[in-house]
Amino acid sequence: MLQYTLSGHTRSVSSLKFSPDGTYLASGAADKLVKIWDANTGELVQTLEGHAEGISDIAWSPDGAFLASASDDKTIRIWSLETMDTVRILKGHTNFVFCVNFNPKSNLLVSGGFDETVRVWDVARGRTLKTLPAHSDPVTAVTFNHDGTLIASCAMDGLIRIWDAESGQCLKTLADDDNPICSHIKFTPNSRFILASTQDSTIRLWNTQTSRCVKTYAGHTNRTYCLFADFAPGAKHIVSGSEDSKIYFWNLQTREVVQVLEGHRDVVIAIAAHPKRPLIASAAMEKDPTIRLWADQGVDSWIGAET
Amino acid sequence: MNGILNNPFNITYPTAVQTSLNSAASFAKFDTSGRFVAAGRNDGSAVVWDLDTKAPVRWLEGHVKGVTSVDWSRNSRYVLTSSKDWNVIVWDLASDSDPTRRQATIRFDAPVISASFHPRNSKILLVLLGTGETYLVDLRKDHRGRFELCEAQEESDDEGQSSRPRSAMTAARFDPSGRWVFIGTNTGCVLVFNTRTKTMVARHKISGVGILKGLDFAKSGRRLVTNSSDRILRQFNLPLYPPPSADGEYIEQELEPMYRFNDPISKIAWHSMSYSPDGEWLAGGAADNANHKIYIWDISNDGQFAAVLDGGREPLLHIHWHPAKAMIASTTNQGNILIWHCPTPERWGAFAGGFEEVDENVEYEEREDEFDIEDEDESALRKQKAEEEEVDINGVDDSALLVDHLHRTADDDEDIAWALEEPDDDEGGWRLKVMIDDDDVY
Repeated sequence: MLQYTLSGHTRSVSSLKFSPDGTYLASGAADKLVKIWDANTGELVQTLEGHAEGISDIAWSPDGAFLASASDDKTIRIWSLETMDTVRILKGHTNFVFCVNFNPKSNLLVSGGFDETVRVWDVARGRTLKTLPAHSDPVTAVTFNHDGTLIASCAMDGLIRIWDAESGQCLKTLADDDNPICSHIKFTPNSRFILASTQDSTIRLWNTQTSRCVKTYAGHTNRTYCLFADFAPGAKHIVSGSEDSKIYFWNLQTREVVQVLEGHRDVVIAIAAHPKRPLIASAAMEKDPTIRLWADQGVDSWIGAET
Repeated sequence: MNGILNNPFNITYPTAVQTSLNSAASFAKFDTSGRFVAAGRNDGSAVVWDLDTKAPVRWLEGHVKGVTSVDWSRNSRYVLTSSKDWNVIVWDLASDSDPTRRQATIRFDAPVISASFHPRNSKILLVLLGTGETYLVDLRKDHRGRFELCEAQEESDDEGQSSRPRSAMTAARFDPSGRWVFIGTNTGCVLVFNTRTKTMVARHKISGVGILKGLDFAKSGRRLVTNSSDRILRQFNLPLYPPPSADGEYIEQELEPMYRFNDPISKIAWHSMSYSPDGEWLAGGAADNANHKIYIWDISNDGQFAAVLDGGREPLLHIHWHPAKAMIASTTNQGNILIWHCPTPERWGAFAGGFEEVDENVEYEEREDEFDIEDEDESALRKQKAEEEEVDINGVDDSALLVDHLHRTADDDEDIAWALEEPDDDEGGWRLKVMIDDDDVY
């Protein structure tokens, strides 16, 4: 059920992330702002200003000390949660930066963008360590695996590539028969699988070792935008926004849609699962730039069904 | 994790320099995870390098004279530095403060040649002094003390003649289990002490070595390699030592080396040596004052000479092998740390989905039904079926944990229990805080 509606952003909210300890929720939006909210009370804690253009993605460092934001102004800013200020501006991308993530040790950052490259950065010094000529179309998502030894990237060319984080070598490429635009990827907690959202209204779970698709989730609408998908709290369900303004939950194993949340009035782009509590955050586009926090309490809902 | 996707058969020895870290170092040592390198410098400071970013992450400044050794605690939280300024300092990398917090400073009355942590408890230290004495320093509350490890003298009845000069200790190491301390002397002996009782349990005379300059162990702890003034590295298989007896008896035994490693032509001396993590290779750093050369021997193949790595013109001072990978850190006399690795050729086949690279042309044999047209409904159904299978998205491959467990259960003995009393707080999960200098933000 809906717990809070957080208003503040004036344009599409593009990315939502809970802090690693679950205390805060951060949001990035097309209005060039990053906002930090209290995940318990829904109150606005801080607004971070600095980017010259809209923000496409944000990421918390796993140690909770930093927040990174990727912007259309071709830079990434690293914000200190201690001082609530910019501590580094990472310059190097030659076009919009679309996605960003930290490694588990928080000393490296990966980013991808419309210049079709993946960049690996030294967080402390703000230098590019590696530039991977990763794809032949804009890179839509890039992430480290759980121990930081692999990097996975996906792009509008429909390919998912897995890289060795240390050498920067491509280890393998996952591709389906027809290459739908791949808009978001996420490693499972054990990194054996990759959850990939594609713009054929499908989410797939790929086995990284066998390069096979082991699960397909469908029912939502995704043809135009890069929607986020996440593992719902408890890691037994998958959650994603949809272009029909709803939020869908699937059972990880059976692949059935188990719940649909309605309330947003525009495409639900961003979704985030709380790291500890049964709580989901969602955000929508232009017509409804609000963030909603959904708490699970019911018996027949996504987490109640399992417990 | 990336090991699953990488070829598991390529772990041999490194062949090429990956990076050079300009560190003004006189030696450099990997931590137990292989994530960091600690470099000791002649100006009395030590630097911790992060190998992910190839950048220094901590400066340890506490000595006023050259640093002679560094050591890492088992989970890399504590770093020890020893120096010619008579001090040993233990640093806590988990502290948020800048400069890094000192956990302990231990002062001696002579320059410190080397110091190391007990492999299981960083509150127990082994310290070798320039005067040829070795001390076990116990920082634990209930065991606190400084204990000299003294060589047991042969008993002689007439006291006047027992004035054989005491031999000086020239190298000291814990074995990988921490049960024993191995000490090399200037008279060509290896002395073995029990860490808990501080009593000598064995003396191995090794003929022809002269002064022992260095000791190193393969990870299993059963193999010892010595470096000595006769310019030969010797590998020994160690006997099993009995628990120390109450009446101070010890084994007097000459050890025969299993292999001898040297350069028969140039007769070059060795600065240091290091085993590969699996113990299959031994690397020796040559004391050549015009070249930077690392010799590699293949232990699993009768100790045959395998290769010489040529690191250019800057003479070598020290080498250390990475704890898990085919990687070596070698330090030059100009203070550069060369990180050697095993370059893997680019696999272009990886860029295309579903492609596999083959070394040679292969005649392709198609399966009987490979290109048969399958009914679409049928294939959809088959796919559906395949997707019924349960997936485990949380379970991590637990073989690593299992090994750790076995490791633990095997050590139910008194010596280990003693070492684990009052454990240090060097837990696996600590984080090194990322420090961003405030100066050049933009």
